[in-house]
Amino acid sequence: MADSFDLLILGSGSTAFAAAIKASELGARVAMVERRTLGGTCANRGCLPSKNLIEAARIVHDAAHPRYAGLAPTDLPVDFAALIAQKDGVVREYRAKKYASVADGLTDLELIDGDATFADPHTVLVGDRRVAGDRVLVATGSRPTIPLIPGLDTVPYLTSDMLDADEAGRLTELPESLVVLGGGYVAVELAQMFSRLGSRVTMIARSGLLSGYEPDLGRTLGEVFVAEGIDVLSGARVERVSAAERGVALAVELPGAGRIVRAERLLVATGRTPNTERLGLDRAGVALDPDGFVVVDAELRTSQPHVWAAGDVIGRQHGSQMATPVGARQGRIVAENAFADARRRFDGTVIPRAIFTDPPIAVVGETEAQVRARRYPAVATATPLAYVPRAGAVHKTTGFVKFIASSIDERVLGVHVIGESAPEIIHEAAMAMHFKATLADFIDLIHVYPTMSEALKIGAQAFSRDVTKLSCCAE
Amino acid sequence: MTRPITFIDLGVGGMTCDDCVVHVTEALESVPGVERATVHLESRSAVVEASPDVSAAALAGAVRATGQYNAFERGRRPASDG
Repeated sequence: MADSFDLLILGSGSTAFAAAIKASELGARVAMVERRTLGGTCANRGCLPSKNLIEAARIVHDAAHPRYAGLAPTDLPVDFAALIAQKDGVVREYRAKKYASVADGLTDLELIDGDATFADPHTVLVGDRRVAGDRVLVATGSRPTIPLIPGLDTVPYLTSDMLDADEAGRLTELPESLVVLGGGYVAVELAQMFSRLGSRVTMIARSGLLSGYEPDLGRTLGEVFVAEGIDVLSGARVERVSAAERGVALAVELPGAGRIVRAERLLVATGRTPNTERLGLDRAGVALDPDGFVVVDAELRTSQPHVWAAGDVIGRQHGSQMATPVGARQGRIVAENAFADARRRFDGTVIPRAIFTDPPIAVVGETEAQVRARRYPAVATATPLAYVPRAGAVHKTTGFVKFIASSIDERVLGVHVIGESAPEIIHEAAMAMHFKATLADFIDLIHVYPTMSEALKIGAQAFSRDVTKLSCCAE
Repeated sequence: MTRPITFIDLGVGGMTCDDCVVHVTEALESVPGVERATVHLESRSAVVEASPDVSAAALAGAVRATGQYNAFERGRRPASDG
């Protein structure tokens, strides 16, 4: 006899928790099955621990590079093990407050440890236990992609899972040298973090830094990285990985040349793969796409009507992105669709996203290339942050803001920022786009002077005025 | 001959006190075809005795129309089983 629940959730990350909280409010009895640590990627080995350590690395960097005449640079000694220990403390506290105690507070929620595999469309096996769900949510997330490179399986390597506080693969010693494979958001954040904490870092990026984003974002970041001493090998392909006397050696094919890159440790950060292959989804009648993502409709329902999927496992369908708050929104939608017949559809038109490098990057909406590809008439302008008073006042002028707007009605279609405070100021752009704002709306709003958010007002003005000739407060 | 009766099991969300039980009971019993509704605060559930043609959507809709509570059908069984 199986334990029976109204909602059976596979996974325990932000998607799963949002679904569990909403379903419980709606009267459902919920079970959540987790094979690793409660809380999923973000809380344990993603956003949270990385942001903790990135900020520490920024403090070390700023001490050594104070930017102001009159402030003497100083070297802050780094006790890496202590730094990791405080990060582990933050992760455990956050997990206890935001996940474990929330779960305890929910009526009719059971947490089940173990690997779930479908026995039939309504039932999973967790060890010897049969757990049934009238409705099921697949929210098992994703894990680092391990590329097929000859020799990679013969050497030890790190992934972002090293950030975990409690798993075996956690990193506790700062590598003297590190080679980072990949050029995406995880790769750039961790490369700069290790470099600033004292590792000698080489990045191997097949298509340059941050491909898929506005091209000048990656270019600007690349210039900063080179200035900070990070060796960025773009257009590079790894032919072979082998063990070296002290660490690893990578045979790299560069445009017109070959090179051997040696480092103490190797970090693989080449994307993320959905956790779907071990679930027996075929026995549930749930279809996957060729890359292993669960196929869903806009209401997040799979090919099996009583099974929903949300979060990283659905990839980029319906404008979705692999990101904690996106999964959380989807989890809530699933609960409302499953138990309140809400028929809500996921809308991915306005999803702000940030990359926590220094300078940080934040984007919302479409890139210029995406708008051009759908042949929509649009105008685009990038404005250097040198024209933003606050940027000059605090000596942080690196970066730009780029607007893409409709040529028909000046509605803003995309905003892309690299520069100080970008992850904070992007919310103004996101809220504006949520309300279908035009360039004139950004210009019309009185902004606090002097703030980095003025970059949005100035960036919108750049379509119609010479922003080099603005007076105070960008009027 | 009496009309056939079905027991319909519902999950109910949003109830915090006995007043809520009264409101949900009234909402369910307002649906045409419902003979009686028994609402349980502790187990967040209800059993509705109703004619078989009463739909899950009608019951859920009546409860949701209160603006405070949610209901969904868990299953139904014919009264003749007993």
